[in-house]
Amino acid sequence: MKILNNLLEKDYRIAEKRKVIFVIPLVIVVVAAILMVVFNFTLGSPLNLGTDFTGGYSIDVKLGNKLTDENYDEYCRRIEDVMSVVEDEDGKSYSIKVENMQKQGSGDSSAIHVKYPAVKGVSETEMIDVVNPAIRRALENDILMLIPDVVIEANTIKLTYSEVLVEPAVIEQRKVFVAALSALNDEHSAGIVLDGDAETAITLSETDNKTLIVKCSAVGDTEEVKSAIADAMRINDIYSGSVSQGDLVGATVSTELLFNAILAVSLALVFMLCYIGLRFQLSSGLACIIALFHDIIIMLCAMAIFRIEINNTFIAALITILGYSINNSIIIFDRVRENRNSIFAKNMTPEEIANKSIRETILRSINTTITTLIMMLMVAIIGVADIRIFAFPIIIGLIAGTFSSICIAPSLWALFQRVGKNKDKSNFNVKKKEVKAKTDKDVKAIA
Amino acid sequence: MDKRTSLTEVESTGASGGVAESKLREPAVPSRKAVKKKSTIAKLVIIGVLLVVGLIFAFCPMQFGFTNYYPFCSKESISLGLDLQGGVYAVYRATQTDTENFESKMEGTRSSLESLLVSKGYPEATVVREGEDRIRVEVPDVEDTSAILDIIGEPAEISFVLDSTKETVLTGEDVVGAQAFYSANDGGYVVSLELTTRGQEKFFEATSNHINEKMSIIVTIGGESNTISSPTINSAISGNAIISGNFTSESAERLANQIMSGTFDVALELKESETISPTLGNDALKYGLIAGIVGFVLVIAFICVVYRMLGVAASLALLIYVVLYLFFLAVLPWIQLTLPGIAGILLSIGMAVDANIIIFERIKDEYRNGKSIMTAYHAGFKKALFAILDSNVTTVIACVLLLLLGTGSIKGFALTLLVGVLLSLFTSLVVSRMLVKCFINLNSYNEKLYHLKRGKQYANLSADATDASIMEVMQREEEKKKQEKEEKQRIKELEKSARKARRTQEKGGEQA
Repeated sequence: MKILNNLLEKDYRIAEKRKVIFVIPLVIVVVAAILMVVFNFTLGSPLNLGTDFTGGYSIDVKLGNKLTDENYDEYCRRIEDVMSVVEDEDGKSYSIKVENMQKQGSGDSSAIHVKYPAVKGVSETEMIDVVNPAIRRALENDILMLIPDVVIEANTIKLTYSEVLVEPAVIEQRKVFVAALSALNDEHSAGIVLDGDAETAITLSETDNKTLIVKCSAVGDTEEVKSAIADAMRINDIYSGSVSQGDLVGATVSTELLFNAILAVSLALVFMLCYIGLRFQLSSGLACIIALFHDIIIMLCAMAIFRIEINNTFIAALITILGYSINNSIIIFDRVRENRNSIFAKNMTPEEIANKSIRETILRSINTTITTLIMMLMVAIIGVADIRIFAFPIIIGLIAGTFSSICIAPSLWALFQRVGKNKDKSNFNVKKKEVKAKTDKDVKAIA
Repeated sequence: MDKRTSLTEVESTGASGGVAESKLREPAVPSRKAVKKKSTIAKLVIIGVLLVVGLIFAFCPMQFGFTNYYPFCSKESISLGLDLQGGVYAVYRATQTDTENFESKMEGTRSSLESLLVSKGYPEATVVREGEDRIRVEVPDVEDTSAILDIIGEPAEISFVLDSTKETVLTGEDVVGAQAFYSANDGGYVVSLELTTRGQEKFFEATSNHINEKMSIIVTIGGESNTISSPTINSAISGNAIISGNFTSESAERLANQIMSGTFDVALELKESETISPTLGNDALKYGLIAGIVGFVLVIAFICVVYRMLGVAASLALLIYVVLYLFFLAVLPWIQLTLPGIAGILLSIGMAVDANIIIFERIKDEYRNGKSIMTAYHAGFKKALFAILDSNVTTVIACVLLLLLGTGSIKGFALTLLVGVLLSLFTSLVVSRMLVKCFINLNSYNEKLYHLKRGKQYANLSADATDASIMEVMQREEEKKKQEKEEKQRIKELEKSARKARRTQEKGGEQA
């Protein structure tokens, strides 16, 4: 604690080290810019914009009564799995990242509404003509099928379905199994030999009416055989529902919303500038606003560098930082105002005033950031994935905000003061000397 | 009672008394009038009881007789957004797609639907275009699908047709707004239509040319036409049109809604409407709450370690902040909590301590420079006040502008932020000030209790002994000022009399 305090109380003369300090954000911006150019060519877009901004596609998987609150998560996982590898008719495969899923309707009309962005580098017409039908087919072939859970034991294969099988289905599945036998044995070397004829070998378990028991000679218990059997024995359940054609979905963040937000933020900045200009100095206000711009740019850079998806919540994060980050700057400028008006200010350069103010407020700047960071870190560590997307830009913004209000804002203020005084620089130096001489005299007189 | 455990309060004793007395006794232990310890403790107890009651109301579900009480922090009290609670959705389809500028008209319709929903208190509702000719509306915090029809209404086309000529006078295009209200003149609920200037002209012309004829008001919903009423035109009507019929307050309200949705740039029909379940399970809320509690405990631990008793005061104030914040979330109708909203609230807890930290650092500064704990407290709060106000005013400026100009979810977020800032100002400047004062009243001589430290030149001063010397200095300064003032006054008077004398002399001279 003491060491920390001593470290913090040391005079780092931050205001004089303008050039070094301003390089740090510049480096970040340059790195982000380079990466954005690289991403633009390799991944198709400089920023990872979510469907909130770009729009996307949606598909409804209508499952009706089969969908319950209990198996909803399971279905979601399966849909995600299916969509992660989708093959079109030419065998070209696409990976589709599901953006969000929601359960809609109840009872008969229950469905899962799946939203996903366009595949990078695929045009809109291609999406609609090729990819969306492929997705639909893949989902129909998987989600709407009853796929058995295969367990291979010593002399039996157990195929457990999720629903009760009726007599016609059992007969149908017997035929399917017999038909698939040769393919299973040849291609996957399963080596299945049924005990007797199909009717006695393949029976429905009487305990749950959901399991087909296949009596046969020993089978190789490998994943490959299991999945081959499961594949062959899936039941096309015509009552299980339907998958709608993939639809184009517009952006939720409309241009109007963005325009309004930008207008509101710019007006807010102007009003803030006026307020700070009135209560402090115009140069303080300018320094605050520039520091704020710095924070926002750094947040954007971080989103670009780590390629984190930017969606609606990012706007909320920007607004939060906009409101928060300026607080620290103002606390420092409050000190600057006080120090400027003190009797010692006459012999001090703007840099010295800035440094003194930074030194006097650095502890509170850091402490206030720590408390806020604690909360946000907890959200980032404990919260669910969706909330982390919000926490990350805020954490970046908090750190950038603290850096800018300690290092950038006061030294910019000092710079502005100097530029303002440079106009009568010759005068200024003379005046300064005069003042110094005068105070020296005063000191002597007192002595 | 030992002198040192007695309570101290400088301001109530008055400076002169304290100094006068201290001059009589040893200066190291200044004597002050003891303030009632009881009243301070009573204050603390009252605050504590209020806090406990607040916490109970905020977090504990209760049952009074047959009515259930839902705490502020519950799904029942705070209206939750789509992602947390689900709601309903409706898909509307444009009936005519081959009109000119269809794209821009659809976009216009989309944004009118959005603003309609915001005006009805659903800022978190989403309105998205789907496919070529459809618009999907998702409204959170609504339980059944019929509710969405109450909010947006099934789009209705309205037309005013002259019975004699079958000429259509007004259509939905001429209508700017529709409102339901009770009118005693018309003997019941009516729907008033606000017309465009062109609509008003057309209406006036038609009504003035066809006096004593009948005009039918026809509403078409989903291809089915209904004549609501066929009043006789008594006189030329300028201004707005009023539809009367046997309306109840609900049916009038519904018709107004339907007409409003019929006035969109593109005629819409309802295709389907269903409930939607939340995209995020209860996990999101649960882990949000856990993150909040863990973060809260850590923040409290941090400030209690760094500022000790001052930190304890701030922690209590923070608890009060949380209770008040939850109360406002539950009470304000425009706030709908979404997942980022939860993160925003947790963030605001971290931010609410900031003002306290700034004040406490000021108190530290003042104490370091030789003030007693009590005077340091007064000076600290006074000096930090403007810094805190200035910094929060800028945040308020940003929030208010976003509230005025922002759309949809941004508005809701700005409101939660604004409530947080104003409440944190209240708790830090009023509540924590009161608490700190109580604590110092109970003990004003132990600097370690508040983690305060003297600066080098004041290292030998005891924690509460300096009041007298400071008062002495202040007294001296005041006396000096007084003397200077008197001196000035005296000089002024002298000058005055001199001038007078001179004038009379001059006068005398003239006369002479």
